[in-house]
Amino acid sequence: MNVNNLNRNPLIELKNISKVYLVGEEQVFALRDINLTIYPNEYVAIMGPSGSGKSTLMNIIGCLDTPTTGEYILKGINIRELDDNDLASIRNKEIGFVFQMFNLLPRANALKNVELPLIYAGINKSERIERAKKALISVGLEDRLTHKPNELSGGQRQKVAIARALVTNPSLILADEPTGNLDSKSGEDIMRLFHQIWKEGNTIILVTHEREIAMNAQRIIRLRDGRIESDELNPQKVVFESVEE
Amino acid sequence: MKLLAELSEGIRISLDSIWTNKLRSFLATLGVVIGISFVVLMGWAISGLDNALQDSINLIGEDMLYIDKWDWSGGKKWDELRNRKNITYQQFKQFSSDFNSAEVIVPGITNWGATVKTNNVNFTGVSIYGTSADFARLPTGNIELGRFFTSFEELRNLRVAVIGSKVARSLFPEQNPLGKYLKIEGQDFMVIGVVKKQGTMLMDFIDDRIYIPIGSFFNLYGGKLDRSLSIGIKVGSRERLDEVREEARGIMRSIRNLKPWQEDDFSINETKIFEEIVSTFRLYVWGIGIGMTVLAFIVGMIGIMNIMFVSVAERTKEIGIRKSVGANNRSILLQFLMEAATLCLVGAFTSIVICSILVFLVATFLPKFIPETGFLQPFLPFEFVLYASLVAILVGLISGLMPAYRASRVDPIESLRYE
Ligand SMILES: Nc1ncnc2c1ncn2[C@@H]1O[C@H](COP(=O)(O)OP(=O)(O)OP(=O)(O)O)[C@@H](O)[C@H]1O
Ligand SMILES: [Mg+2]
Repeated sequence: MNVNNLNRNPLIELKNISKVYLVGEEQVFALRDINLTIYPNEYVAIMGPSGSGKSTLMNIIGCLDTPTTGEYILKGINIRELDDNDLASIRNKEIGFVFQMFNLLPRANALKNVELPLIYAGINKSERIERAKKALISVGLEDRLTHKPNELSGGQRQKVAIARALVTNPSLILADEPTGNLDSKSGEDIMRLFHQIWKEGNTIILVTHEREIAMNAQRIIRLRDGRIESDELNPQKVVFESVEE
Repeated sequence: MKLLAELSEGIRISLDSIWTNKLRSFLATLGVVIGISFVVLMGWAISGLDNALQDSINLIGEDMLYIDKWDWSGGKKWDELRNRKNITYQQFKQFSSDFNSAEVIVPGITNWGATVKTNNVNFTGVSIYGTSADFARLPTGNIELGRFFTSFEELRNLRVAVIGSKVARSLFPEQNPLGKYLKIEGQDFMVIGVVKKQGTMLMDFIDDRIYIPIGSFFNLYGGKLDRSLSIGIKVGSRERLDEVREEARGIMRSIRNLKPWQEDDFSINETKIFEEIVSTFRLYVWGIGIGMTVLAFIVGMIGIMNIMFVSVAERTKEIGIRKSVGANNRSILLQFLMEAATLCLVGAFTSIVICSILVFLVATFLPKFIPETGFLQPFLPFEFVLYASLVAILVGLISGLMPAYRASRVDPIESLRYE
């Protein structure tokens, strides 16, 4: 799909992925036969109507969930063969989640929240604090380290969440409607941040309803009824990037 | 390293969540606090008792045998004992000349509940104890003031008295009793010594004694008093106790003209008997206490389990967040187990603080009203803090197991879906 990536190893490969839920007697297909390959440092937006399977796809890519059928290969590792512990460790090392509802620990301050993944990575306290600080500085929150979530604006909360996603240097940043709970100005702020993160070499997959937000990405995938409806490059972005370079 | 990071995080979370829900945590630990307090207080009472017992044994000496008409163990029928012939002074004389493998042999004969008088005070409830000068060589004959009577005074049946510390305090308050006179059965006795205060819980009667030469005792009471003598034998070492007991038994049997088929008509008592008495008493304390303790712990564990289930339910979102950033099931299990253990540990410390205060107050003030409780110590033995903590951790782990397991199975997608 992306001509530039033909000579590189894919970061993730989804082959014939389906996710089926049993609701009573009825089978609900959240995802049907998804095939998708994403290369390092791609910036992908996933769009689609409500219930089309966007979050389900993100959860599978983020190893929070496992597909009913199909193969998922992340950095050459077949996820099907892993147990719960391995999945937890993959989430810890390779994935950074950003949610619509921020999902910060309400009683912990910004620094503590960002430290959290490093605790489960077994990193010692002084290094944890140092790296968490660095991550918070990189999202522009150097003067909010000891603020608790309820002492921060929505945009700032989302920046803390982004810092938490970045702090482990993951291979993949997954953002499920990161601007869905923000006003348009904070939303733009966050999108600028994602752009910067992408420019630094990160791979980003972002779910959104809004066309405008999706236009920030390099590649746009549309889902409908659990299927990929379209998967194309964003002409604006590609042109814009090539001009810039 | 990973475990260490998770453990310290676990403790931090636990304390944080206990602190946030102070009242709830307090109520949840109440059962545990009560359970641990029971154990600690029982242990404290028993350890006081054990110390008192050891004091008594030390006072009498572990190497003492008493040949007596009476049996201290209470194992024999009283009727049977009463029908035994008294041990007489002649028998004692013969015994002490036949028997020579002991350090000290002393006779002892007691008149309980006697009344003595000084010029202005009447003192009842003392025991007049007739013995020999050798009594001074026993630990119970330790002198505080003055001296014990000599064998010269004993042989001459002089009217001299060595008094117990309580007698001294009652008859001669704020005075030096030496050289003073007291009247026993209308006869004047001169006080020549005061025995060290030795009363322990089990043997406080010892401070109520007045020691006089055994001949003077017979002169006082003559044939009026139908009392058996007891023969105290200080063996010298605990190891020789069995050997000496057998020898004494043989000699005593021949003195008492027992035929080979006849049973002993005397008992040979020793301090071991105190240990038995205390150990049955200890059993009673534990028996009553254990029941209440078990009950309190069951209630306590249900309380902890309940509060942990509530805590898990309230924090499914937190669990989901932790899982999404890489916590595995074991980390979550560990976190909630630690929380339950920490909760119980806080309970243990609470109960130790409460018990320390209680114990101090009781041991300080109760003996003023009930002197028999003087054996209680005003502090908790240190190892109790350790045991209580270990028990608390165990209780926490057990009662936290099910809630923690449930927490570890929380589905992160489900818990993160809704606000
Ligand atoms: N646990 C579940 N049990 C049953 N059905 C489920 C479950 N989770 C998701 N589904 C179904 O799967 C489909 C896809 O859900 P998903 O949450 O992925 O949609 P979405 O594209 O993220 O929608 P939205 O834009 O509203 O967030 C929906 O029809 C939903 O009802
Ligand atoms: Mg969704």
